[in-house]
Formats: sequence, structure tokens, C-alpha cells
Amino acid sequence: MSSVKRIRLFITPYLGLIAAALAVAAVPLVTPDRYVLKVLVYVGVNVIVIAGLALLFGHAGQISMGHAAFVGIGAYTSAYLVKTLDAPWLVGVLAATVLAAAGGLVLALPALRLRGHYLAMATLGFSEIMYVVFREARAITGGNDGLGGIPYPEVAGLKIDTPVGVYLLVWGVALLTLLLVLNILRSRPGRAMRALQATENGALACGIDTVGLKIRTFALSAALAGLAGALYAHGVGFISPSTFGLDQSVIYMAIVVVGGAGSLAGPTLAAVVLTLLPYADALVPGLSKDTIAVMQDWEADIYGLAMIAVVIFAPAGIGGLLKRIRLRGAGEVRS
Amino acid sequence: MSLLAVRGLTRRFGGLTAVDAVSFDVHESSIKAVIGPNGAGKSTLFNLITGFDRADEGSVTFDGAALVGKRPDAIVRAGLARTFQNTELFEDLTALDNVRIAADVGHPGGFLRSAVRFRLASGERDGAARAAYLLRLTGIDGFADTLARDLPHGTRRLLEIARALATAPRLMLLDEPAAGLNGAETRTLIDALYRIRDEGVALVVVEHDMGLVMEVAEEIVVLDRGAKIAEGPPLLIQKDRAVIEAYLGEECGDDGC
Repeated sequence: MSSVKRIRLFITPYLGLIAAALAVAAVPLVTPDRYVLKVLVYVGVNVIVIAGLALLFGHAGQISMGHAAFVGIGAYTSAYLVKTLDAPWLVGVLAATVLAAAGGLVLALPALRLRGHYLAMATLGFSEIMYVVFREARAITGGNDGLGGIPYPEVAGLKIDTPVGVYLLVWGVALLTLLLVLNILRSRPGRAMRALQATENGALACGIDTVGLKIRTFALSAALAGLAGALYAHGVGFISPSTFGLDQSVIYMAIVVVGGAGSLAGPTLAAVVLTLLPYADALVPGLSKDTIAVMQDWEADIYGLAMIAVVIFAPAGIGGLLKRIRLRGAGEVRS
Repeated sequence: MSLLAVRGLTRRFGGLTAVDAVSFDVHESSIKAVIGPNGAGKSTLFNLITGFDRADEGSVTFDGAALVGKRPDAIVRAGLARTFQNTELFEDLTALDNVRIAADVGHPGGFLRSAVRFRLASGERDGAARAAYLLRLTGIDGFADTLARDLPHGTRRLLEIARALATAPRLMLLDEPAAGLNGAETRTLIDALYRIRDEGVALVVVEHDMGLVMEVAEEIVVLDRGAKIAEGPPLLIQKDRAVIEAYLGEECGDDGC
């Protein structure tokens, strides 16, 4: 194999990711606008959550109606540690990730004996319980009033307090997350997940420890949600319970469905598009305030319609469409 | 010493004893058949041995280790693989990828190591090569890139056998591998079974196709209503009075049936 060919083989799986990295780097050069960057921080945070949920739901086939709660656990943990206890930022983020993973583990152990609707109900119950905790544990979470003045990220004495800095930090982590998740999907655990989703008996017959796989995937997925939550808390500076409620969990699931099961690029694109939707004014200048207000009021309805449209017209989601385009492209090259 | 020793294995569903104190042995690199009328308990017996169902009584010893109570995936990793009466393939994946997944057994690849792709290359290469080899061994390499859902019925059965083989078993339990196959496909299957046995893998086959059973089996276990009613080489089983009664429902007198 020539070295050129080898390099090409090595790079091919990452082409999408490289394109995404270039796009991320280009944004601050094109527009240093504060509002645009802030909206894109939301997008980056959601991309991290969705990467984990695409692993759990899109590949391993396990439903979670409680992912917003894991984001909340991460956000409150890091905010409390750094703001109230003066812990270093990295410690806060690390603790947020670990605690969310632990929450995922605790939920996964009993819940993954359940399937389908029952798993959905169990995770939904978890989401509601955590929502009550976020509202009532006032000493830590600030209750319904929320928690403000959360310090900016700070790594080794370097305070990241500019919009561009926060944007680059969040998207750096998001791209790294996508890279790691992509690698997992291309290797043994990814194949095992596809097997598990297709038929659990078949997976068992291949010697796959399906119980262990489900628990690990759930914990990893929760950890990524916790990480995203911590980045959100420090990037935005204010958190309140309503951000981490059931409706947000449902939106996360909707994004993965629209993005397509068995795909990572699809859900990532869906996360970008659907998160941007209510903030369309950041990208399209000249949109009237009324239009934006309508879009924000109808946010949930737009997601619902997108989901219904996907289920009816493109059951494989954006990922399925991407795959079709790719196959057609390959066919043309060959002929 | 035998590779697999089944002793007094019993499974009750309410008032019905589906498997009733069944005992038998399987030796290394041998082919054994389990036959019996519908509902005799053959599939239940397979499920008990492979951990998909839990026995009420009795023991299963494989290569000196007790299997009862182990999870199905752990039993596969211990070297005892199986196929299903109703194939359990990964329908949206290609034939090659179906086998590739099973070839991961024994290769490194935890979450962390996969995430950073630390020293995965040789395992990935071996797995891919082994999957391709097993498609050739079972004679279905022409379908490597076909999705499982698009495969002809006979090929699906062979694919499930190839997938079970990829876990590097020392014993395979095949649940009705010839069901629904035509003559030519059955011939391909029989050739594959011999090749597999010659690779050092012992086989236990549940099968209704008596032509296949009588040709490939060195020994036959006959079940009726959960209990073992006969065991021996094909020629003796064909003449066995209890077996003929079970199959034909005839009472045999002293002067024959």
C-alpha cells in the first residue's frame, strides 16, 4: 500500500469532522458578534449531549427520557463547586462529568432490565425526580430563582471570559467528543451496539455482554451530558431548573430521531439546525422581531412537526439522507 | 473425558415437564444429533445448555466447568456457540459484518481504548480476515456484501453458522439448520458441517431432516415428551422400538410393528 493511499484511508472517516473543525474556526473570523457566538455556544453544548444520546439511542437502541436531568446534574455540580466552594474550574467540570456518569450508572443498573416503554417510563421518572431536586435543594441550586454569577472557565490561571474564548472552548470540547464517539462507533463497542439494537439474542450469541454494554453506554452517555451541562453553566453564567426539565429531554430525543438512528453526522446536523431554529435572527439578519417571537413560541411544535415529517417521509432521518447521497456519489464515480 | 456432559437436566413450565432428567455426553470433534417429534423439548434443551433459559434441576459441564447459571454471552465466550431455529441475524448489516461482529470475541476493544484507537489495528485486521475466511468455509463468500435481509433462506442459515463459528467455539449447537432448505442447499450445509467438524469443532444438531441426520450424525439422542428415550448410532436408532413408537404412534408387539 502506498503511503498516500494509507494516509487517505486514515483520513477518510474523519473528513466530516475536519470540515466541521474548519467551519468552527471560520466563524469568529467572519463574525465576532457577541449574540451569534452566544447562540453557537448553546449549539455546541447540545452537540455534545446529542453525541452521547446518538450512541445510546441511535446505536445501542436504549431510550432515555431523562438526558436533560444529566445535563442539569453536570451544570449544578460544577456551578456549586466552583462558585460556592471556590474549587478550580477543571475540578468542577471533572466532578460534573463523573457525577453525571454515576447518576447514569445508578439509573442504568435497575432500568436496563426494562425494555422499550418501561425503560422510557423509568428514565422519565428520573427526569421528574431530578427536576424536583433542582427546584427544592435551594442551598445548592438556588431553587426556582436559579443560580447566577457562575464564574467563567479558567484553565491554569488563564481566564476564558471573552465570547470568542468561550465559543472556542465549547466547540473544541464538542469536536473532541465527536472524534472520540466516532472512534468508538468504528470499533468493537460500536459494532456490539449495532448488534444489540438489531437483536439482543443475536448479540448474546456473538458473545457480547449485552448487560455490561448497555450500562457502560448509558454511563458514558450520561457523562457527556454532564460535561455539556458544566460547559453550559460556566459559558452562560446562569442556570435555572426549567432548562433541565422533561421538555428538554424530549427535545433531545426528537433531535436524535430527526438526525437518524445509526448515524452520528445526522444527529449532529440535526442538533445544529434545530438548536439554531429559535435563534434564527442570529444568522439571518433582518428577520423581524415578530417572526422570531412566533418561532420561539412554536419551538416545541416545530420540533414535533419535524419529528412527524421524518417518521413519515424519511424514517432513517438526516443520517439516512446523507448515506443515500454518499452512495449515489460513489456510484457516479464508479460509472 | 467428554467435552460436554449433561446430567439430569430438567425444566418445568407449570405442570408441563418440557425437559425431563435428560443426560448425555458430547465428545471432542464429534457430530451428535438430537431428534424427536414436535414439542419433544429439543429447543428447550438447547436453551438450557446455552443459558438462554434456566434449568430447574441438573447440571451442564463444558470442558470441566459448570455452565448452569452463567449468562448466555459468557457461555459463548467459554467456547460453546449456537444458532437459532428462527434465525437471529443483524438484518441491516451485510453478511460480512454479521460475522465480523462475532469475530470481535477475544479481541481488545473497551470503550476507552476504542475512543483513542490505541493499538487496535492488528485486532481489526485479524477480525476482518477471519470473517472473510469463515464466509469461504461455509461456502457463502459470494454474498459477503449483501445485506442479511436480502439473503436467500439457505444462505441465512449458513450465515448464522458462520457467525457462530467466528466466536471460535469448541462446540456448536445448531437448531434445525436444514429447516426450509432445498436439496442443493442441504448438500452445501452437509459439506460445511463436515468441514467445521474437521476444524476441530464438535457439533450437536437438532434436525427434522432424517436424511441429513442419518448421514452426518455419529450418534443420535432421541427425545419424546421431554425425556430421552434412546441414544446410539444411526443404524441402531432406526430399528429402535421406542423410537418408532414415538414417531409413528404405533404399539409394537413381540412380533414387530
